[in-house]
Amino acid sequence: MLVAGLAVFVAACGGGSSGSSTGSTASGKTLTVYSSLPLQGASRTNSEALVNGIKLALNQAGGKAGQFTINYKSLDDSTAQTGKWDPGQTSSDARQAAQDKSTILYIGEFNSGASAISIPILNRAGIGQISPANTAVGLTSNAAGASPGEPEKYYPTGKRNYVRVVPKDTIQGAAVATVMKSDGCKKPYILNDKEVYGQGLATNTSDSLKTAGIPPLGNDGWDSKAANYRSVASKLAGKGVDCVFLSGIVDNNGVQLTKDIAAGIPNAKIYAPDGFCESGWVSPKEGGVPTSLDSRLQCTVATLDPGSYPPAGKKFFQQYEAKYGKGNLNPYAIYGYAAMSLALDAIKRAGSNGNNRQDVINALFSTKNLPSVLGTFSIDKNGDTSITDYGLYSVKNGQIVFSRVVKPSAG
Amino acid sequence: MPAPPDFDLHSDSERGLEAASIPVRATRAAPFEAIQRFLSRYGLIIVLLALPLAFMASDLAHGHGFAHILENLKDGVSNGAIWALVAIGYTLVYGIIELINFAHGDVFMIGSFVSFGMWGTLGVTLGTGTLGRVGGLIVAGAIAMIACGSLNVMIERVAYRPLRHAPKLAPLITAVGFSFILQNVGLEWLGGSQHGVDDLVDAQHILVNIGGVHIINADVLAIGITIPLVLLLVAFVQNSRLGKAMRATAQDPEAARLMGINVDHTISLTFLLGGLMAGAAGLIYALYNTTIRFDQGFEAGLIAFTAAVMGGIGNLQGAVLGGLIIGCIQQISDDRINSTWTPAIVFAYLILIMVFKPQGLLGEETREAG
Repeated sequence: MLVAGLAVFVAACGGGSSGSSTGSTASGKTLTVYSSLPLQGASRTNSEALVNGIKLALNQAGGKAGQFTINYKSLDDSTAQTGKWDPGQTSSDARQAAQDKSTILYIGEFNSGASAISIPILNRAGIGQISPANTAVGLTSNAAGASPGEPEKYYPTGKRNYVRVVPKDTIQGAAVATVMKSDGCKKPYILNDKEVYGQGLATNTSDSLKTAGIPPLGNDGWDSKAANYRSVASKLAGKGVDCVFLSGIVDNNGVQLTKDIAAGIPNAKIYAPDGFCESGWVSPKEGGVPTSLDSRLQCTVATLDPGSYPPAGKKFFQQYEAKYGKGNLNPYAIYGYAAMSLALDAIKRAGSNGNNRQDVINALFSTKNLPSVLGTFSIDKNGDTSITDYGLYSVKNGQIVFSRVVKPSAG
Repeated sequence: MPAPPDFDLHSDSERGLEAASIPVRATRAAPFEAIQRFLSRYGLIIVLLALPLAFMASDLAHGHGFAHILENLKDGVSNGAIWALVAIGYTLVYGIIELINFAHGDVFMIGSFVSFGMWGTLGVTLGTGTLGRVGGLIVAGAIAMIACGSLNVMIERVAYRPLRHAPKLAPLITAVGFSFILQNVGLEWLGGSQHGVDDLVDAQHILVNIGGVHIINADVLAIGITIPLVLLLVAFVQNSRLGKAMRATAQDPEAARLMGINVDHTISLTFLLGGLMAGAAGLIYALYNTTIRFDQGFEAGLIAFTAAVMGGIGNLQGAVLGGLIIGCIQQISDDRINSTWTPAIVFAYLILIMVFKPQGLLGEETREAG
């Protein structure tokens, strides 16, 4: 907590010092795009796939965007001690990018809570940010699921600098509710990890469940430091809960929580969002839950199977496997590719001003009907993508397997 | 015994300064004094029983009987048994050298890791037969206990003994330092993420249902190991020659030395015993929760130290009682209130207990306490 507080303080101070470069032009013809992702802990596999996707996009563009040469630097926003994203490290990454005169764009963060820290720092520095994975509503709008003061508190200059290529949680919440309803859930319950992302998504899902006619019996936080959650499971069992949605990230003791809920409510179906949908949750080899629970687990990610993508997407998957090996496909790889592609496209569209940070931000926000590996999409005035499809994943033999495309209808 | 007149409770100076108001004060103070007397006599009992009784009454009012609250208390006792074993290490060390051994929670974490590593080495998996599993777990537990005991002795020898006569802050800082070193060992060992381990005892399998209270394998494991260990330890400290040496050293190390007791060896023995208990707790934790993590010792250490203070620091039975009470508070809060509030409720309980009985439930047994 102290570290988080210090990080915010340092971030605030740092923002002030870097504020002098607001609206500045990155020097020279070589520009730098940074990425900041958790390269340690349970999210490591996803982050590595994102980095691979980013590199592939840059390689295919010949390391160029318009008349500029693009240099890519990968940063880690996690620490070995926390095993997940860390406020201090995230702040440090954003400050490093802000202090680098060649920085033109910043791809990150993976976690919404981390972006809540990096956005204000980059906003003061006038640097555009593209998240390949954030879904928390409050980062871009004050719609349901946002906390008081969001999103204004992330943009101290009053100008927007943050966009994302994944659909926000109003859509994920609606997708989860749609799946729960179609699975016949009658008494759903939501548990959230109390972080920016988990709490916001829990509100979105709760709203969507109400709209779908199956209001949740409750929406409680879970203590990520607890030794176990047997009494929580017993409480839910006592209420007759038949479906549980774990709204948060798996790093917050999600494996223990899943085991205890599964054991305490033997017939309950367990649903989780993209924050859980990774091998660290379900693979026993990586310390995940035992395979005996596989049939009861499902998760949603804004990624579809290769066959559901447009030709450009299908081609991406072939090229990715050709470069990084067959069987190495991870749902997030395509988002890394899409984020870097959007970055290169925005720099290119800014023309000779491609080294002007504000012009590149303007180009990001003026993205309209851009053909991409994800399909054709636009970025709205809040920085949100127009793409809405979610993929539902099940678990087989300790691996996450694509199940079907979900067209959200409950929200 | 009749209560003394209220004005007698005030000092002469107070009476002199407020002579004119004495009759009025006496009248007004009477109910207050009565409440104060009542609280000082029964406050602690009220505090301890408030949660269970309130929820028991609520259950009865809703026609649910006693099963639910008994299930909470059963879960609390079985969870608390692990905290009790860790708390013993804190209380033993504080009792003898008046040091908060911050590294103790991490020694407990190492116990979990060694246990997990050992059953991997021994080839004990879900496919192993019952006898093989029991045998493997006994061997793994014994090795974890010896490893943690030796580690604790080593920590004392390296980080605390050279600072025996240094200001109290010095060993406190070396304790914090060792805590971080051990955490980093754990980090290197299994990485920064939670690590699920094989459920070798089918922890949540319901063994028997007694009037709606479900006794699961994990309950039997936790209580079945903790009770004999605690009884053995208490018997050792109370009756053995070495145990008497420990108590003598705790009371007055200089006098103990003059009586021919090897104080250094006695202190090492204390660390050994604390480490053995932490090793056993580490094994139980891994089997009970089936998830281990490099920083599990931090939270466990905090809870266990709280248990030791709650029960009366330096008091073995107090540490066990404190552990069990915290276990029960946690389970009741998780189930009946919200797990978000559990840490706050546990520490609110600690504060209330300290207010009503600053020396802890069963009384301190330290040199300071006499």
